[in-house]
Amino acid sequence: MFSRTHRNIAGLAVVLAVVCVLPFILRPYQLDFLIFMFINIILVVSYRFIAITGEFSLAHAVIMGVGAYASALLAALPISPWISMPLGGVAAAAIAYILSFPLFRMKGFYFLIGSFAAAEAIRLCWVQFIDPFGGFRGLRRIPVLEIDLGELLYIDLGAPVPYYFFALIVGLICLFVMYRIEHSRYGFVFHAVHHKDTLAQSVGVDVRRFRTIAFVTGGFFAGIAGAMVAHYVTAINPGLFGLKQMLFVLVWVLVGGMGHFAGPIIGVTVLSIIDESLRGLDELRPGFYGLVLIATVLFLPEGLVSLPRKVLQWSTWLWNRGGGTLVKRE
Amino acid sequence: MKANITRRKFMAATGGVAAGLTAFGATPSKLFADEKTVKIGFLAALTGDAAGWGLPGLYGVEIWAEQINAAGGLDMGGEKYKVEIISYDDEFDAVKATVGAKKLLFEDEVSIVLMLGITPVQAVKDFMTRNKMLTTTLVPTDISEDAPYLFAPVEVHPFYNVTAVDYIARNMPHIKTAAIATQNDELGLSSLATYRAAFEVAGIEIIEENLFGFEVTDFAPVVSKLIAANPDVITWDTAYPDYVNLLTEQAYLQGYKGQFVNCTLDQYEHIMSKTSKEFLEGFLWQFPDLDDPIMQGGGTHFDNAAAFYQTYNERYPGAWTAVSWEYAAALEMWRSAVSQAGTFDPPAVAEALRSLSPVPHAFGDAEWWGEDFFGVNSAALGKWPVVQMQNGKAVIVEMGDVRAWCDQHLDVLKKHFIELGVPLAG
Repeated sequence: MFSRTHRNIAGLAVVLAVVCVLPFILRPYQLDFLIFMFINIILVVSYRFIAITGEFSLAHAVIMGVGAYASALLAALPISPWISMPLGGVAAAAIAYILSFPLFRMKGFYFLIGSFAAAEAIRLCWVQFIDPFGGFRGLRRIPVLEIDLGELLYIDLGAPVPYYFFALIVGLICLFVMYRIEHSRYGFVFHAVHHKDTLAQSVGVDVRRFRTIAFVTGGFFAGIAGAMVAHYVTAINPGLFGLKQMLFVLVWVLVGGMGHFAGPIIGVTVLSIIDESLRGLDELRPGFYGLVLIATVLFLPEGLVSLPRKVLQWSTWLWNRGGGTLVKRE
Repeated sequence: MKANITRRKFMAATGGVAAGLTAFGATPSKLFADEKTVKIGFLAALTGDAAGWGLPGLYGVEIWAEQINAAGGLDMGGEKYKVEIISYDDEFDAVKATVGAKKLLFEDEVSIVLMLGITPVQAVKDFMTRNKMLTTTLVPTDISEDAPYLFAPVEVHPFYNVTAVDYIARNMPHIKTAAIATQNDELGLSSLATYRAAFEVAGIEIIEENLFGFEVTDFAPVVSKLIAANPDVITWDTAYPDYVNLLTEQAYLQGYKGQFVNCTLDQYEHIMSKTSKEFLEGFLWQFPDLDDPIMQGGGTHFDNAAAFYQTYNERYPGAWTAVSWEYAAALEMWRSAVSQAGTFDPPAVAEALRSLSPVPHAFGDAEWWGEDFFGVNSAALGKWPVVQMQNGKAVIVEMGDVRAWCDQHLDVLKKHFIELGVPLAG
């Protein structure tokens, strides 16, 4: 029969086929929802990329903002958004690299607080320096992406359907690269640095260097996510990359599950869908959202990614309890 | 017990449930088949920090719609339309606002979108222009030349703040010095620029200013510094409602005896319970209770203002704020434009709205204004009340002429906006 790899590839192909068909079925609002979900998936997977080295940063949303601001400012020069977007990622990586010097002198709780302070310093720069960052109001009229081949072809990527495919392709490339790195020798060292940093150090691993590599790489992808937001929404401000966004990233990662590459993706997908479907409840929505979070943390401490395994365990337990047959309600 | 469900029974039961659901689903459609509906979008913060300026407005809009529907519906071209309010919580977030705007326009097909302003409006602006989405904001500095479908039909923040200062200059000649504290954000800064201009024109010297950050939770030092300067009048500018509560309470605890002038005094009964009736006596601000006698006709344009206020307070006790009536007032003006245009089509209604002269503003006749400031005449500027606390109740003491003041002192106003780095247009 089919091997597990074959089954995985087939499953992935089905998922891809579905997501490629969706833009022709869904309405613009639903497409927008999916576009921002793809962007958030890049963000959370890049966050997990840093977290697998054992440090939880509170600067990730701001690093995302660095990518957004850098790309928007470069596009205003004007540099083509096709070039400014990757440069936004590079700028985010560069800022992450600079931050890594003071931050990786700290560990654990101190790193967490240090990263928060560094993030706030950057965010306050955006607020205080109206020129060039626009202050609280931020930047507007950020150009959208276009494919302009004159008479031959013109595609305005500001429209939902083209941007959906753009976000999907960029998202898949980012995920593929991060997946490959995590499953390379570098990735194994990242895990070693997390779980046994002293042991890793004793065999010659430069723990700080590897943490910096993860921090900078994660920062690059967060920057790309930020640039994608900037060139779609066409307006950004410091509030978009504040503590609230950072808390959402943490919640998505933790609820989805840190232990597996797919965990944060599941976290973003499930929680975003729940959040959106509860919109009709208006001010009661955060309460229901909170209940879902509490239930997940209580019953699925390893995150939603562990749900299939848990269901299997519960089914087996029920099966065994019923003496080999499933327990029936009388 | 052995399950006793045969295939036949299962099919019959399924058919029955399906038939029932079909009938259930069909009944309302049949009942409302002849009823025409116009949809109105409400895109503002219903949760989070800015919910205080979104949710009370949604309550108001829902009451307004109920009142219209109870009277048979909205009249357009001789036909009656039921009003349906569709809300989307933008959480005061640019991304959520972008998604919400698309939902409201493309999915719900609303005829107008009511927004709070600033960040969400900036994010949606290009979309609203491209798709001719008629939108209202409570913050006129959102307005710009490139947004012809964006109007500030009701609130002309922060310009109306000049009226209370002007009232002080004419009625309280002993006041010579002022002190200001507010949060350091766009709302606070634009308001600060306006207060600076108003005090300058009034000949009142500002002897202390304090722009505090969002990290401040203890307001005792902020207030101490202000009181130490011994000002004749203190203003909290356009501080967020929670800040106004805490700052006023601190001033009370620290024994301040002077005059207050402020943009808002939301839920003043609550502040009174924390301070005292005597302490708040004479407090000046800009937002009236709609049961004020001046709001019952006599040149104002808010139908059934007292009934609206009463219903609101019965249904949501203690929730009345500066914005409770404003979104509804924007709809009142939109209704006038719809009546003139004879259609709900947003571009036609926008054109009709722009052609209204005088503009039937909730506080009386106004005119579209702003070309010299934002580059386009899209803010309804006219009169705005000066409200004073008298014996524990908000009382309109004067209808100040904001337009006349702005026409006369526009240069001073612009100078202070530029000095503080606040953009004149969105």
